[in-house]
Amino acid sequence: MTAIIEVRDVKKSYRMGKVLVPALSGVSFNVDDGKFLAIFGPSGSGKSTLLHLLGGLDRPDEGEILIDGTNILKLSDADLAELRLNKIGFIFQFFNLLPRLTALKNVELPLAIVGASDKEALERAREMLRFVNLGARENHRPYEMSGGEQQRVAIARALVNSPKIILADEPTGNLDTKTGREIVQLMKKLNKEKRQTFIVVTHDPRIAKEADRTIYLRDGLIENTEEAGAAKEE
Amino acid sequence: MNLRTKKILSMAFENLKQRKLRTTLTTLGVVIGIMTIIALASLGDGLRSEVQTRMESGFELNVLIVFPGSLTAGLGQPFRPSDISNIRSVSNVSLVTPIVTLPSARVFKDDSERIGAFTVGAVNFTEMQKMLPERFQLIDGAFPAAGDNDTIVFGYKADTRNGTIFAKVGQNVTMNIKITYNNQEFVINRTLRIAAVLQEGGTSGITDFDYWAFIPTETAVQILHGEYYQTILVQVADPEASEEVARDIEGKFEPFAVSVLVPSTFIQQVNNILNLLQIFLLAVASISLLVAGIGIMNIMTVSVMERTREVGILKAIGAKSRTVLSMFLAEAVWIGAVGGLIGLFTGYGLSYALASLISRFVQPQQQQDTLFATPGRQPLAIHPIFTPEWTIAAFIFAIVVCVIFGLYPARKASKLNPVEALRYE
Repeated sequence: MTAIIEVRDVKKSYRMGKVLVPALSGVSFNVDDGKFLAIFGPSGSGKSTLLHLLGGLDRPDEGEILIDGTNILKLSDADLAELRLNKIGFIFQFFNLLPRLTALKNVELPLAIVGASDKEALERAREMLRFVNLGARENHRPYEMSGGEQQRVAIARALVNSPKIILADEPTGNLDTKTGREIVQLMKKLNKEKRQTFIVVTHDPRIAKEADRTIYLRDGLIENTEEAGAAKEE
Repeated sequence: MNLRTKKILSMAFENLKQRKLRTTLTTLGVVIGIMTIIALASLGDGLRSEVQTRMESGFELNVLIVFPGSLTAGLGQPFRPSDISNIRSVSNVSLVTPIVTLPSARVFKDDSERIGAFTVGAVNFTEMQKMLPERFQLIDGAFPAAGDNDTIVFGYKADTRNGTIFAKVGQNVTMNIKITYNNQEFVINRTLRIAAVLQEGGTSGITDFDYWAFIPTETAVQILHGEYYQTILVQVADPEASEEVARDIEGKFEPFAVSVLVPSTFIQQVNNILNLLQIFLLAVASISLLVAGIGIMNIMTVSVMERTREVGILKAIGAKSRTVLSMFLAEAVWIGAVGGLIGLFTGYGLSYALASLISRFVQPQQQQDTLFATPGRQPLAIHPIFTPEWTIAAFIFAIVVCVIFGLYPARKASKLNPVEALRYE
């Protein structure tokens, strides 16, 4: 199996005022195509930073990140945006839907940025909403939907451009247990049916349980890696 | 327009629609700016055209007016017959006719009632008919024949006085002239027959012919014992050559001994002044559009801050900085386009409203139709003129101003770091 993501000795620090705060202090791992990877760790362990780097939202200070064979360090801002648009879908803890747009319009957004025709965008967005079981909610705005529904809209939006990689930042962190489980099941289903690679940053051991592999991060370093096993119960 | 541009424009429109009050108020600034520009531009054009029409009807473009003396050297000596033949020799001159002005002349009716408002001039009627064919038309009588010297031709104002005819062709009047000769004052009275009355000629560049009375040149020569002319009218064969003819005429005299009024040059100068006035008015109007632009900048800067997270989301989804920039600029374009369009129409309205207001205030007082009243003037009526040039220019100006002022906040939005923008609460 080929690695869709290669991370080699990545270091990243943030400047907070005059102090340089290290977030990642040399992290290396590979993710194979079509796998479900969980990144597990306490807050401040650097997992969100890692996810941002993997998504090309930010650049590492040192080291290399290859996404589908492309070294993202060498890409311009515009090329990085193009990469995010075509190869990566983001799911956030707080859903990050545009509050003024309906579910359908939110899902259409990446297609609008690509410049797809209205008809094509509408069809694709409807299809994705049906896939996440929200066909009946397409004209609802985010505030008219429950957290679980909003997260499913966000998932539909992440998937609408058929990206190879889905990056999720605490996708169940803002949901109740039952809804959280549904979201995990949905992601799992997508991973299986659409063969999309999932990288999920989480506190939630249930996600870790479902993952093909779990990386434990602490203080900017990989503490442990577990293959297809159960995460430690906390 | 490609699909993406269309999408961005429609998304921008949706965004603006979500903030109705804010958008309306911002757009209002543009509306007022464009409205003022359109109103002032069209009124300026209207004023210019009105003045131009009046000047062109007031001046014969092919007739130059020669005066003795100049503004700097003071009044010169009256012209003599040799001066006239001198001017005749200038090339491109087709006709020269002198006018004797008799400032001390007064005209009385038989019953000694003075006809005060008339200026008496002595002319060659045949030449004047050729010189000013449109003004030297009669409503009554006939021009006196050569040798018929005890005659007078009245301007149109002699004909009506409180509705009654004052000067009737065939009636006699007495002309009284004071002449100073060897420091002695002589008063000469002469009885003249009214030969004709001119049709209404209106104000010309020279004077208001309606308030003139003309006698044959020979009569003036007899009274003054010599030929002394105050004004010479020169008809040029080609109005384009007016300036050259004027220079040539001046060349025939001592420096500053004569002044030549070239109507086309004069009209041009008045036009230049009107242009300056219009530019000034438009500059003032543009300030209101600039104020609107600053309003847009202000609102958009606030809007960018409020939508920081949204920008983060868009960037995470894959929007390039350029896309974010154009999304915000598209909002500025909408405000400019919609504000500009509304401004055009309200500008048309304002223009008509101002025009009617102006004509109401500038309208002269109810004119009394007496011979002694000041020469009548037609009321000034400005009709706004809407040229496609101004319309298009104002519309484009609206959009350009909005884009320029939207550029800073839009750039600010596009430069946001996606990670930080996503964290923004």
